[in-house]
Amino acid sequence: MDYTESRLADYRETDTKAGHGSIDVPFLLLTLLLLTIGVVMVLSASFARAYYSESTNHTATYFFSRQLIFALGGVAAMLFMSRLPIGLYRSLARLIMLAAVVLLLLVLVGGKRVNGSRRWFELAGVTFQPSEIAKIAVILFEAQLVCRFKNKMKTFRYGVLPFAATAGVIIGMLLAEPHLSASIIIILITATMMFLGGTKLRWFALGGGAVGAGFLLIINVLHYSGERVNAWLHPFEDTSNTAYQITQSLYAIGSGGLSGLGLGASRQKYLYLPEEHNDFIFSVVCEELGFIGATLILILFALLIIRGFYLAMHCRDRYSFLVCAGITALLAYQVILNVAVVTNLIPCTGISLPFFSYGGTALLIQLGEMGIVLSISRDIPEKKFSVRKRRSEAVKTAS
Amino acid sequence: MAGNDTSRSRTPSPPNKSMLSRTLTLLIVCGIAAFIVLVGRLFWIQIDQHERFETAAIGQQVRATALSSDRGTIYDRNGKILAMSATVDTIYISPAEIVMYEEDPVFIAQNLSAILGVDYAKILDMTRDTKSWYKTVARKVDDSLSEQVREFKNENDLKGVKIETDSKRYYPYSSLASHVVGFVGYDNNGLLGIELSLDKLLTGSSGRIVRAKNAFGTDMLYTKYEDYYDAADGYDAVLTIDATVQYYMEKHLQQAMDDYGVKKAAAIAMDPKTGEVLGMVSLENFDLNNYQAVSEKTRKAMAETTDEVVRKSIFESAQQAQWHNNAVEDMYEPGSTFKPFTVAMALEEGKVTKDSSIYCGGFYQVPGDLPDEGRHCWNLSGHGMQTLQQTLQHSCNVAMMQIAQMVGAEKYYEYVDAFGFNSKTGIELAGEAGSLWWDEELFCNPYNQTQLAAASFGQTFNITRLQLVRAMCAVVNGGYLMQPYLVKEIRDQDGNTVSKAEPTVIRQVISEQTSATMREMLESVVGDMLEGTGKSAYVAGYRIGGKTGTSTDTVVEAQTQVKQYIVSFIGFAPADDPKICILVTLENPDASCGVSVSGGAMGAPTVGNMMRDILPYLGVEANYSEQEKANIDRGVPSVVNQPLDEAIRILSEQGFEYRTYGTSATVTGQLPAAGTVVAANSQIVLYCGSEPSGEQEEVPDLTGLSYDIARQRLGFYALYISTDYNNVSDTQWVTVAKQNIEPGTMVDHGTVIKVKLVSNEAAVNARF
Repeated sequence: MDYTESRLADYRETDTKAGHGSIDVPFLLLTLLLLTIGVVMVLSASFARAYYSESTNHTATYFFSRQLIFALGGVAAMLFMSRLPIGLYRSLARLIMLAAVVLLLLVLVGGKRVNGSRRWFELAGVTFQPSEIAKIAVILFEAQLVCRFKNKMKTFRYGVLPFAATAGVIIGMLLAEPHLSASIIIILITATMMFLGGTKLRWFALGGGAVGAGFLLIINVLHYSGERVNAWLHPFEDTSNTAYQITQSLYAIGSGGLSGLGLGASRQKYLYLPEEHNDFIFSVVCEELGFIGATLILILFALLIIRGFYLAMHCRDRYSFLVCAGITALLAYQVILNVAVVTNLIPCTGISLPFFSYGGTALLIQLGEMGIVLSISRDIPEKKFSVRKRRSEAVKTAS
Repeated sequence: MAGNDTSRSRTPSPPNKSMLSRTLTLLIVCGIAAFIVLVGRLFWIQIDQHERFETAAIGQQVRATALSSDRGTIYDRNGKILAMSATVDTIYISPAEIVMYEEDPVFIAQNLSAILGVDYAKILDMTRDTKSWYKTVARKVDDSLSEQVREFKNENDLKGVKIETDSKRYYPYSSLASHVVGFVGYDNNGLLGIELSLDKLLTGSSGRIVRAKNAFGTDMLYTKYEDYYDAADGYDAVLTIDATVQYYMEKHLQQAMDDYGVKKAAAIAMDPKTGEVLGMVSLENFDLNNYQAVSEKTRKAMAETTDEVVRKSIFESAQQAQWHNNAVEDMYEPGSTFKPFTVAMALEEGKVTKDSSIYCGGFYQVPGDLPDEGRHCWNLSGHGMQTLQQTLQHSCNVAMMQIAQMVGAEKYYEYVDAFGFNSKTGIELAGEAGSLWWDEELFCNPYNQTQLAAASFGQTFNITRLQLVRAMCAVVNGGYLMQPYLVKEIRDQDGNTVSKAEPTVIRQVISEQTSATMREMLESVVGDMLEGTGKSAYVAGYRIGGKTGTSTDTVVEAQTQVKQYIVSFIGFAPADDPKICILVTLENPDASCGVSVSGGAMGAPTVGNMMRDILPYLGVEANYSEQEKANIDRGVPSVVNQPLDEAIRILSEQGFEYRTYGTSATVTGQLPAAGTVVAANSQIVLYCGSEPSGEQEEVPDLTGLSYDIARQRLGFYALYISTDYNNVSDTQWVTVAKQNIEPGTMVDHGTVIKVKLVSNEAAVNARF
């Protein structure tokens, strides 16, 4: 009996024992651990920038204190959301989707323009990206689609079209901002939901080709993307800002060596490395904590992701499974893409590192998503010592 | 039940098998595989390429401030300082810090401008470059000014005003040995002479402070990353140059330039036993403390032209000329000063002896000469039958050609090599010239000995002056070709010896015996008052040997077809045990200066004058012959208040004559005053109770009179004579060429007239 069959058997066996259990402690601890390290790194990475900036009134802890507040608020939100039943999210999925669409429309009209893009709302000094909402909305909404189409997922009409349409609407608005990195994430999430939902694999091949062609077109239209590809290929020769960013990032990472310069001792953060507390915070992590520290953090992320998928595979409910796996995949994509960008494995796209990158609302939403996973984990009766422990419990109950 | 969905109650439908296996795929791809790739990438960047990126990062993160090291001192052989560094201050501002500490740039600019005299607008302009940490306001300012800046800085607590200690090079003897000592540029890097050739040793290594900076260029916060590399001071150099010897050489060479209207002159003095260069002169000299400044003559020439381009070219060529070390950087045709080598090799090969007799008919032909061609001796009627010694004394060309033929071209060429005429000396100065010699095959052609014939008396090839001196030292020091050197010792700042030069024998060229014979014969060139062409180099009391030379400047001749002469003399002393060998070359003397253009008439007395000062300084005791003793200038003794007969006894004992005025038995006054140096046999006026008349006398024209006659004529007027001229052994042979007080001037009794004497014998004036 292979693993998946044994899990299925498990579900059948424990079907009747569903109920509100405790949240998954390893997932929670990994989240909190990464969050803590992340907030500390925001302090380390940002203080030089904060000190030298007019806009922060030369307050070294400007970014850190805000991030800390949002982290605390985020943890509260996570714990709160972990108490809400998954059914609530399911029933709110369409509403959330609608809200995301409306917000994306609004941001195109009334958003704050930064560097030629309208991606932000600004309310009382707090900025907020609707694309963050869109990501979770797509997961919640498309999971519902999968559940509804069930066995029809193998057909083009149900297994491809509705998903393509959903993603299409969202991406259309994101590209109008424009916001390439969020579009990529939406495409990846949609593909993931279809993949998990059972869409035939040949559509991915076709879709991959179509998306690739689409991006080629976009790169040629939006010249800044072409510039990014150049910067990716020749970071040291290229003179663009992106190439400068990549060069500085590699200097930072490379300077770290095996054991790093020590926490707080980054030199590249002294205004050499742009976005040092946002998208490129991982470069500072590598510089200060070295290969050992950076690898440990990546292992923590990997463990969190593995735990997320593990939890998904133990869901008794298909919707929970899809949402849990979707959120985990979203987390994974963001981590992988961010680290791949700062190490110049792929062209530069503005993807932030979950729990690390500075950004209040994004952190809030990310922790909220973790809250949803935790909420789902409550419905999984036994999480750790699967079969054997469960059997011994069954024996206990019987006696 | 899972789900609070009140509208629709669902039975939980678990994920199917395909979903779970696809999730597992995602888990492996996104949770494991992707991370392995990322960690691998980090490994490549952080471990594999660590150094590359770290170096690049540090390159942009640090700012180095140089710490200057003290440049070493240059001493002469006796510890006199020829070049030294003194600390001076450089005032600079740091616009970045002025901004950082919110200091007032206008205030700073105003005050610095007032103290240093630098344009206010210029300083203010500097403060605008706010990314800069270093803008020099004034370099090498005096102590008093930098003290004022320091006060201003401290009073106002200005961090943006900086004072940096720098070093400045001083040359206490200003122009002395300027081409040997050399000078340094603005950054204290050596540009000429020893300053250039020993630059690395003298400089030491400059240190630096390395500080971390942020991308704005200001110091990094908190991270006080700072590294300090100590500056290592430069070594001191002790030269073989003797400042006193150098001074005398320069003095007399300059005198010769002035007297003979010479454009360019050089002199080299070497210790024949060691190869140490005791002095080296290439006139004109220039002030090392102000090496850019050109001579007054040049400035006048510049002022005369209105064309800016011409003016600039005059200035630049004058600078190049004054920095040119004629003594080592130029080649020339040595002429007759080369004859001793021809004679020495023939002696060494046993082809001639001291007693050989050689006939000069005034003209000589060698194989290769056309029937009506050949070489004349300078004495067209011929020297007749001569001893070997006389061939040198006469500087006879015909004899030299015959001697060279006896040696044979191959042997001759070997000796030329052995005497070092085909190799650079390796002196510690940049730009040493080599030599220009015949190709060996051509030279040794038995059917054409014209090259050999010309070479035998020093023509048709070019060598450097230093090569000639080195070879001459070998001829007189026992036959050893020495390695010439200028740097005696290198010391560290604590006075410990780092390296010490030792005399190095390159090879023995001739035997001790040959060398002794050569010394004897060359001494006769100077010492023989009847035969010697070099007798003008004679210094009473000293045994000096040497050889005259007069050659055409072949470089000028080749370029302009104009015959210009280089007259020279190479002398050594004492002849029996040489302590110094001096070569003097005078280029293109003025034919109308009143002295015959020849090595004997111009070169020899110049070397003689140098020897007269240098030999006593070197501790060589004068040994006067009876005749010399009788003829030498001397100080007048004090005889006032002595009884008359006692006074007369003293005066006659010391070689003075006298005449008396008055009748008292005691001397009440004398002329000239005690201690005055006058010619021997001068008639001292003794007043015995009578007073000097107080009348004045008209100075007579002494030019053309012999020293004896001149003395007698002056004595008649109670005037006196003295001379710097070294040859007073024969007061009848020398005549007055110049006198320091113009004829017709009225002077008091007892006045001493200094005269310049020349020997006007034909032999001395010959151009050989």
